[in-house]
Amino acid sequence: MSKVRVAVDVGGTFTDVCIFDEESHLIRVTKVPSTPHDPLVAVMNGVARAKIDLADVTLFSHGTTVATNALITRNFPPAAMVTTRGFRDVIEIRDGTKDDLWDAYKDVSGPYIRRRDRFEVSERVDYAGNTVTPLDEEDARRVARLLRKRNVNTVAVCFMNSYANPQHEIRMREILEEELPNATVSTSAEILPEIFEHDRFNTTVANAVLAPLVSGYVHRLSDQLKAGGYTGDLLVLHSGGGSMTPRMVERYPVRLAASGIAAGAIAAKHIAQQCGFENAVGLDMGGTSTDIALVAGGELRITKEWQVEYGHPIIFPSIDVLTIGAGGGSLAYVDIAGSLRNGPQSAGADPGPACYDTNGDQPTNTDANVVLNRLGTSLAGGAKMLNKSLATEAIQRVIGDPLNMELAEAAHAVLQVANANMADAVRLVSIRRGHDPRDFALVAFGGAGALHGAEVARELNIPTVIIPPNPGVASALGCLLVDIRHDLSSMFTSVASEADTEALEGLYVSLEMEAMARLRQERVAEENAVLQRLISMRYLGQWRSLSVSIGSGANSLAEAIETFHEQHEREFAFSQKDQPVEIYQLHLTAIGKTPKPSFKPAVELNADPGAPRETRPVYFGELGWLDTPVYERESVPAGAMFSGPAIIDQFDSTTVVPPNTTAVIDEWMNILIHLKEA
Amino acid sequence: MSGTMAVTSAPNAGGSSLDPVTFEVLKNAFATSVDLMSEQILRTCYSFVIYSRDFSSALCDAQGNTVMQGSGDIAVHVGTLHFQCKAVLEEFGTDINPGDVFAINDPYRGGTHFNDVSFIRPIFSGGEVIAFAQNKGHWADIGGNVPGSFDVNAKEHFGEGLRITPVRIWSRGVFLHDVAQLLVSNTRAPKQAMGDLHAQSEATAVCEREILRLVDRYSKATVQNAMQETQDYVERTVRRRLESLPHGVWETTDYMDNDPGKEEGLVPIKIKLTLDGTGIHYDLAGSAPVVSTFLNSGYGTTFSAIYAGTKTFFPDVPLNSGFYAAVQADIGPEGTVVNAGWPYAVTGFCSGPYEKLMNGIFEIWSKIMPERAMACAFNLEYLLVGGKDARSDESPYFMWYDWMAGGWGGRASKDGSGATAPVFGAGLAVQPVEGQERLSPVLTSMHQIGMDSGGPGRFRGGVGIEKGGMLTDAKNSVMSYCCDRARSITWGIEGGLPSIPHGVWLNKGTEGERFLGSNFSSVPIQSGDSFVRPSAGGGGYGDPLERTYQEVLDDVIDGYVSIGRAAKDYGVIVNEIDADLDDFVVDEAASAALRRDIASKRLGWLAEDAEQVSAKYVSGEIDMLDVIRRHGVILDWGTGELYAETTREHRTLMERRSSSHWAVPTA
Repeated sequence: MSKVRVAVDVGGTFTDVCIFDEESHLIRVTKVPSTPHDPLVAVMNGVARAKIDLADVTLFSHGTTVATNALITRNFPPAAMVTTRGFRDVIEIRDGTKDDLWDAYKDVSGPYIRRRDRFEVSERVDYAGNTVTPLDEEDARRVARLLRKRNVNTVAVCFMNSYANPQHEIRMREILEEELPNATVSTSAEILPEIFEHDRFNTTVANAVLAPLVSGYVHRLSDQLKAGGYTGDLLVLHSGGGSMTPRMVERYPVRLAASGIAAGAIAAKHIAQQCGFENAVGLDMGGTSTDIALVAGGELRITKEWQVEYGHPIIFPSIDVLTIGAGGGSLAYVDIAGSLRNGPQSAGADPGPACYDTNGDQPTNTDANVVLNRLGTSLAGGAKMLNKSLATEAIQRVIGDPLNMELAEAAHAVLQVANANMADAVRLVSIRRGHDPRDFALVAFGGAGALHGAEVARELNIPTVIIPPNPGVASALGCLLVDIRHDLSSMFTSVASEADTEALEGLYVSLEMEAMARLRQERVAEENAVLQRLISMRYLGQWRSLSVSIGSGANSLAEAIETFHEQHEREFAFSQKDQPVEIYQLHLTAIGKTPKPSFKPAVELNADPGAPRETRPVYFGELGWLDTPVYERESVPAGAMFSGPAIIDQFDSTTVVPPNTTAVIDEWMNILIHLKEA
Repeated sequence: MSGTMAVTSAPNAGGSSLDPVTFEVLKNAFATSVDLMSEQILRTCYSFVIYSRDFSSALCDAQGNTVMQGSGDIAVHVGTLHFQCKAVLEEFGTDINPGDVFAINDPYRGGTHFNDVSFIRPIFSGGEVIAFAQNKGHWADIGGNVPGSFDVNAKEHFGEGLRITPVRIWSRGVFLHDVAQLLVSNTRAPKQAMGDLHAQSEATAVCEREILRLVDRYSKATVQNAMQETQDYVERTVRRRLESLPHGVWETTDYMDNDPGKEEGLVPIKIKLTLDGTGIHYDLAGSAPVVSTFLNSGYGTTFSAIYAGTKTFFPDVPLNSGFYAAVQADIGPEGTVVNAGWPYAVTGFCSGPYEKLMNGIFEIWSKIMPERAMACAFNLEYLLVGGKDARSDESPYFMWYDWMAGGWGGRASKDGSGATAPVFGAGLAVQPVEGQERLSPVLTSMHQIGMDSGGPGRFRGGVGIEKGGMLTDAKNSVMSYCCDRARSITWGIEGGLPSIPHGVWLNKGTEGERFLGSNFSSVPIQSGDSFVRPSAGGGGYGDPLERTYQEVLDDVIDGYVSIGRAAKDYGVIVNEIDADLDDFVVDEAASAALRRDIASKRLGWLAEDAEQVSAKYVSGEIDMLDVIRRHGVILDWGTGELYAETTREHRTLMERRSSSHWAVPTA
């Protein structure tokens, strides 16, 4: 058997397995139903279904929603928080804001650790790290014994200003470890040595509540893989777009909190680069929502401001993904004042779109696609049949009649609103960063991305749309493409012109030492380690900072300041070169490169797509119904050229190539749709 | 401004001339263009108050009417941005040119208070103004007598801070440095103010770019048409909703604590609502004359309170002038707390009439939509400590400017939301203590939930907060406080009880302990002085004797309610088995007996002689919550001195909102 690399991505409904054959350089995919009670079962089922011999596997990577689901359901083992006297409610008070500003009946969800499980000890350090009140060891031991009596097995230690001086937290950890030898202890200065108590405490608390569960899970999986003959390290995808081995997952489980979302964004970046685009928008459109990610200059946008649920920030760098409530199942309706709306409410899987003939009688985007013949009535190779007459009835009744529109006109209107909403969301993530969508390619995937991609691109004046070979399992592909990655940071507040550059260098060096130690623990060879320094700066007096690269030479700070001015100009359309710049934080990204699959391009290109499977009339707005050839994606060769309108059907997706566009299958078997200048 | 004010939008041509897709797409695109503006200001601002989300953004049409307001905007700015835009139009008329940007903060032209500075950029197409982009943000300081520009003692606006009538800051793309310099030089932090001035004007340019893109794509006429139709759409939505609501007249009165220029006694704000099928009509007749502090409201903020209070019961309707057209209000002649007029001081409106109008409107709509009912929420409060920071040799000026979260009222089907931003702005973030400690010589001693702070009820009011601090190393420092409801205590409805009074204590628990009350200005404080204050919880909803044992037990375990008050407020006896393991039990038989006992006596407690109640408080026989919740008596919480008139008024309120809803005890 040839050697293979395997990536497994666990989603809510399906667990996708993506196998890269190192000899043939080909990818194959398998889908099995997810097993929410124990996701590991589906992972191993997928491995079995794909007939993988684990002894042949050179690299096993994994994206998981275990952490995300645990945070949402609050399904944690007994956990506790120990904090400074007077501050046990920091994670409950939060910043006090509501997500829904106007609905007085919609509340923010409660903290990850309830008030009854949060304990105070006497200690206090000031803003400069000076001790105001020494840690009361008797008090600390009293709390530790109390936690033992309560059988707590994971503890978050969160003291005020510990980022400036962690000594009390360290001592508290020692006392806890003496009294509760089997418990996991997360201290806030170790997890996130940054200012602002709510951000740091909540990140630490999330780490603590996830620790037993997540490390338990990855160790069990690791053991099973090992038992099956896999000799490498399990690589687990984290929210920052890198991966970690189980040894690091044990310390930083909170980094897995958005493991699932990151994979799709990484795939989008890879696919764009494969097609020669350094700038791309990833549009991952599923049944109920669409994830939008931005790649600029070959890099995915990273944010430190994110959360699984509103009000509970997790401050580790994470890929910036905007999720909006627009998917195939989004409901179309006419509101009380006669306006045509689309989403964010969704028919979901139950009751489902009208055409599913389950329980739904409200029209969805899927129904509109069926009515217009964009989508055939047989999905997944006939496994799912759609009822067109139910879709027709729903669109006519709910949209057509009230708005006095013909059926096709009504269905088309539904899709136009859906596409415009997605385009608005893309504008939010791109324009606010100072990017012009016209310089971008749109990578459309997920179950419904290929149906809508070209029209969304047209709304945005994006000239090129890329549909990868397996749009429905692109996320699993993303898992195959990540490096080991750690993100470290340190506070460093100083006006840049007065900064102590030796101290700055010293801090970077110590971050680098810590980073190398982590990479070594993950068995990364020296030559595969890449360290990158970043620095966060702002105009003196500003509140938010911008993070830019910084080198290590003598001039590096001056250069970084220049970059900061440029970046500020690009993102916000103004800069103030005469104003003093303040340094806020230092960051270090440590990469441990892993071998990437090298895909094999098709050698023979053939412009002839062959004969269509059928030709059917499809509705395209002002152009009306046009006879449109329908091709089987599996049977069209690399190099095939199409002139819209055309439809390309495959097992997990349907691609619409609208009129006034051309499409080509490239050597990597991506479909590239080129929009003509309007 | 005097008399009736009906906000008008241009007449609806009747029926839409845009196709449904173009309309929906443009309506959503307007929202995006405004949100992009907010997104940018959040990332580039200098004022920590703006950073904490005290700002708003709007797209206004060529007449100044609001087409779309930001989805994350602070409530208090709602319904004021069009006034500011119209003020610029009135002032400059046809002398408005491409590349101009105007500033305004004038509360006598429909603004909020001086700290809230608006930047307004006209958007031109084909040589004419088609719209205005506006961003309004709260500057940390705008000059005047007191750091932070909140002078409680101000009676007139002179000396409160800089009043900016509509003024041009950019002229045809040229920055008018001299004008800008004049504005920022009148603040305590001119560099930051200049930073915000630039950041805010640049943010309006983001909206301009987006609107011009839409004009390019859809044509000027279509975009202008859609701006009008977006307003008509909102108006139509509200009017259609009204069709399913009952017609009638509802009235309530809420109160501010007192007018220091008069004898003790509450200051009434009266609200009458009429639904007659044609719209929503408010009438504020009978509200008190202006008070001799800065807790008055100008017409802009009174309309804002009315719109924001009403919007809470129409949470999904977008905000624009169409909404304002469906809601009419007669705010009466100038010279009242709800329509002060020039030159009365109005900076403290936010803690005064604004909160009372919002909560009074909540109370009224709770009758109309009982499934969305909500008792009173805690009052917006600001504590300001300013002086010289002696931690470094330069002793720079510092400003510790602090506001808290608190509790919202109990609801028809669940407890009130605890530790939540004020109704003044549910997106107004409290500041991180670690950030404050870096910037100011104030060491925070606690920032925690206040036990027993939620008003008792079948559904308890949300919990409030306690925050305490000590001045560590400072010179020439003074403390000011802007709040209310130390006497007009956050109330319950449908039988629910009040929560707790607001107010600041200096050096509590020491010999020099002083209760400074809920409104004071420039009290000198020294290094080593400590201060503490609570934010109120929400009022309770429904009779607390009907709360389930399990809910009371859970509240005791989590420390939201003490064992003592579980008995006194809820009639539930909770016994401790092992506190280490959260093991507590309810003695159900004893609780049932206690509930019967309370039910038979509580009307009598509310009628007990107020002087005697005061005496028992002074002697320590009963505590503050007994005085408030059992006896409905209002005292000076520091000295125990009785406020007789206030108590009489307060007891009338408690009868209306609480005791009249209690079941008559069976013998």
